[in-house]
Amino acid sequence: MKRLQLQRWSSTALSPRVRTNNRLHQQLYSTGLRLQSTVSPLQSESAISENVEDASFQNPDAMRHIRRAHKRKTQLQYPSPPVEAATQSAKLAALHARLYLPSRLPLQTLARTLVDASADSNVDFNNESLATLGHDLLANYTSEHLICTYPRLPLSVTFAAMYAYVGPKTLAAISKEWGIDNATVPGGEVDPGFLQFQRVAPGTAVEDISQLKSARPYADQKNWRMTVSSKIFYDDEFGDAIKGSVALGQGVTDETARATFVRAVLGAIYLHAGRPAAKRFFEQHILSRHLNISELFNFSQPARDLARLCARENFEAPVAKIVSETGRKSRSPVFVVGIFSGQDKLGEGSGSSLMEARERAALSALKGWYLYTPINPRVPSSMEEEGAAPWKPAHIDLGELLPTEDG
Amino acid sequence: MFPGSFPVGVRKPCKWVNLKNTSITTMPVKAIKTISSARNGVGAFILQCKRLDFHYCNFGGSSRGMLSFLTKDLAAFAREHPQIEIRVSPRPAKHPVIKGHYINGHEKAICVRNLEPSEIMKKTNILKEANGEKLKRTKKPVTSLNESVRGIWSPYHGDLRGV
Repeated sequence: MKRLQLQRWSSTALSPRVRTNNRLHQQLYSTGLRLQSTVSPLQSESAISENVEDASFQNPDAMRHIRRAHKRKTQLQYPSPPVEAATQSAKLAALHARLYLPSRLPLQTLARTLVDASADSNVDFNNESLATLGHDLLANYTSEHLICTYPRLPLSVTFAAMYAYVGPKTLAAISKEWGIDNATVPGGEVDPGFLQFQRVAPGTAVEDISQLKSARPYADQKNWRMTVSSKIFYDDEFGDAIKGSVALGQGVTDETARATFVRAVLGAIYLHAGRPAAKRFFEQHILSRHLNISELFNFSQPARDLARLCARENFEAPVAKIVSETGRKSRSPVFVVGIFSGQDKLGEGSGSSLMEARERAALSALKGWYLYTPINPRVPSSMEEEGAAPWKPAHIDLGELLPTEDG
Repeated sequence: MFPGSFPVGVRKPCKWVNLKNTSITTMPVKAIKTISSARNGVGAFILQCKRLDFHYCNFGGSSRGMLSFLTKDLAAFAREHPQIEIRVSPRPAKHPVIKGHYINGHEKAICVRNLEPSEIMKKTNILKEANGEKLKRTKKPVTSLNESVRGIWSPYHGDLRGV
């Protein structure tokens, strides 16, 4: 399969676009052009006439003073740093090198990923569009990895694992590990190497900032029972209700802004350096993190679940047997109990009472079932690589035990 | 069934509850929300030193080596380590100092008064390679988040051996 050439794409994303010339924008920004790149733009008539006026100053000192004042004015004119500032920032260049970002990703775009929508509401200059793309990529790559590696994982655990890999808390932690600092207050004069966003006012209830945008009927009824499978349809990739964007001027939390930044970086890599680079970045920064999936389970009735699982899979009914024991009459006995289905030992656990040991044995048997991994699992997106072997359908299991009426 | 074995997950018939009329709903598996933990260097490696500040004095004699280091060696060092932000600023009437700022928020400072440029380079490398934590003795050759592959020895398994 031939790879898409994204070079052109990225150049259009960076091209010297001016603001759309509607009447409101003309009113607001009639003083100058705001550009997305440092490439010299098409000069409009007003800009040329300004240059002619500037050229009339002969005294270099006066010129320098005026230029500095002019620079200050242009910096303060817009809510986020101008594009020219990106190449001047040591912090930004250091960040680019620290993350080993591809050289095709320019500093200007990296600066743009650091501007949150709450700092600059102009979609041409904030990271919202890049973050949307990055969010979809993260969700896609992580979910295909989890489903193909652990085909029997229960849905609730899949949601929790998704949250652990690419949830907002994790992404915020990643941005801290990259050494990103917040700007105290966003503005045009700030070093573009800082993360710029408007904070929520202290004391604001964070839950109330963004309104519920769920398509679920009766979504505002918090206490109503929701099935796990309905979360696939109505909710986001973590099984939480979908929230709308924050109202303008409300500000965002530190965690949200940082998570948006990390997503935007992935989106920017995808646009500028292409799919393989984005995938590599995802594997190196997200998938390489440590997560013990067997610690995400929370069973309430492991023995009963195991009995039901064996019934569903037509195994013999599970039987618990004492494997070994010591100190039955003492105050600290230890029992080792194994759970057998016919001749096969499904799991084993130890505890200081027979019931405790049996529960632990059932737990280990269930985890052994749910955490099955095929040998060399492949993900669908591996087919995008050049010279990929023909696709064999991945093993997808029946799934977990669903709650049933009439046990 | 063996003596001492008991069936798993089967309700004992009970006199006063009619099992057919009770509805038993299985609680599906619940999940615990956590976050994955970082392992720097397993995937990507992030250098922990993010900024080096070089302070010098134009007048003081203790800064002579530092001035020579700044003019001759610093540019090459900066080129080799683009991931470190470098700041140079005067600190009049004080000894020269190098300060390292780290990703964990800590900072380390080394006074380089009267040192030769080559010695200053060594001190700079010390700051570059540090991770910002306090120095501590490493007792185990390997620390890992992964579980032991061999497991923990259990006295309850395997045959008994006479002494």
